[in-house]
Amino acid sequence: MAFTQFSSVSDGVFASLRNLWERRGYTRYRVSRFEEYDLYAKNRTFITGSSILTFTDTDGRLMALKPDVTLSVIKNTAPSPALRKLYYRESVYRASDPSSGFAEIQQAGLECIGDLGLFDVCEVISLAARSLAALSDRYILDLTHLGLLGGFLEDSGVDPELRPELLRLAGEKNSHEAGALMRRAGVPDGVSAVFDAMIHLRAPLEEAVARLSALPLGDRAAAALSELARIARALRGTEGIYLDLSLRSDERYYEGVVMSGYIPGVPSAVLSGGRYDGLMRRLHKSAGAMGFALYLNLLERLLPEPETLDADVLVLHDGSDPEGLLRAVGGLEAEGARVRVDRAAPEGFRCGRILRYEGGELRE
Amino acid sequence: MSDILSVALPKGRLGDKVYGIFERAGFGCPDILDPGRKLIFESPEHGVRYFFVKPSDVAIYVERGAADIGVAGKDILLEYAPQVYELLDFGIGRCKMCVCGRPDFRDDPNRTLRVATKFTKIARDYYAGLGRSIDSIHLNGSIELAPILGLSDVIVDIVETGATLRENGLGVLAEVCDISARLIANKVSYKFKYDAVTALAARLRDTTEVGK
Repeated sequence: MAFTQFSSVSDGVFASLRNLWERRGYTRYRVSRFEEYDLYAKNRTFITGSSILTFTDTDGRLMALKPDVTLSVIKNTAPSPALRKLYYRESVYRASDPSSGFAEIQQAGLECIGDLGLFDVCEVISLAARSLAALSDRYILDLTHLGLLGGFLEDSGVDPELRPELLRLAGEKNSHEAGALMRRAGVPDGVSAVFDAMIHLRAPLEEAVARLSALPLGDRAAAALSELARIARALRGTEGIYLDLSLRSDERYYEGVVMSGYIPGVPSAVLSGGRYDGLMRRLHKSAGAMGFALYLNLLERLLPEPETLDADVLVLHDGSDPEGLLRAVGGLEAEGARVRVDRAAPEGFRCGRILRYEGGELRE
Repeated sequence: MSDILSVALPKGRLGDKVYGIFERAGFGCPDILDPGRKLIFESPEHGVRYFFVKPSDVAIYVERGAADIGVAGKDILLEYAPQVYELLDFGIGRCKMCVCGRPDFRDDPNRTLRVATKFTKIARDYYAGLGRSIDSIHLNGSIELAPILGLSDVIVDIVETGATLRENGLGVLAEVCDISARLIANKVSYKFKYDAVTALAARLRDTTEVGK
């Protein structure tokens, strides 16, 4: 796809995504720009970054410009025996990095809420992969099951106080510090070696599942692997899906499968998501849920380099023959040139050539 | 995305040492030895492109994808917590992050501890782990002056030999963590250039092990 402006990128991409998602029965969902601040205050750690823009509404309620879409979708979703399949395109407002202030971030994504089965999980993963394919010919969708690493550490009897730090180091693929930490804590070498193999395992999903099956994982991790194996079989033939156990998500909200998507040219994940049954429970909803969001603002990176010239031709004139000048400039434009007409060269203006309109004709 | 690996190295002595390891691992770039005014040094036959930046900027270049991999001090990684993979501890540039102050300093738990440092996050995390509230004072240099002039009770800073501390009547009160040079990788580059990044990291690891 070739775009020259960010709005064209995000509009063009969203048109493709909407087409893709609607063909699978997802319907558009719109949320208000504002929500009561309480919704976010109770689930603050779910939202990336800690700052939220707030204001007091006319009735005295503390409101927030929404920093997240998923929380609003869940809050406003009534229980239903059928699945709710929703997609959205919204702006969220966050200060992800305190040093750079608040930013408006455009997100598009989908949520599948209800009693999810294997098909529903696979459909969301497949749509995530196809959404990435709509952005770029080359893409990678990393997948993991949070029960794999966590379950392995638990089954191996690793001190619960040690586990969060080990999982953090796994997220960095930091073998040297994880190994040293395990040695100091007296974790057996065999456990340490399997953990190391797990955090460095990276392969297409089905191959990775097969390689993991050969490791002594323990019951909890084996159960997670079995779920992943069924997903891998169902998704056989879907390109670009990899298993990467270093992928982390907050386990207070996410459980089971989580994913992260990448395309060349954008230095961070453009897609993230997963199964967030934990968040549903925190919001007193009995259903399961899975979804993902795409960060459309990151697609600015896909724009081509800006034009080096402001115009191809600068036409200078003295204002004495507007009719003739219009005809002359119209001729240049018809030849495909970008033309700027002025009485003097604007400061810092860059153009291919300068012509003067004198005596009824253009001269170099 | 180019197939060549862009490598951000820290300017100065550490960068020279680290480049030596890359060279011994088979990723040499002879142009570096005769730098002139060039800023970027490319070795297409080895699939690498080097550039030297301020040590504290390496992690930014890597996190934002201007470099695929880089070499940064653990102090920088702890302070700025960039979203990168940390693939290898080179074991060089070793030093310690320490709490330092007058040797006779006694912490009074009834008062907020005043801590001067360049490494505000590291200091906050360390004292948060101890459940101690602090007044963090960010300084950009000459940190040792702070407790001498009464600006702070203690400092949190990098200690190599401890000579500067001793010459100024200060000493190490507690060790916060070990510091050394680490190989880091941009997460997206790691995925799209997996074979090249992991092969390079493995050869660097082998070379580093031989040198230990």
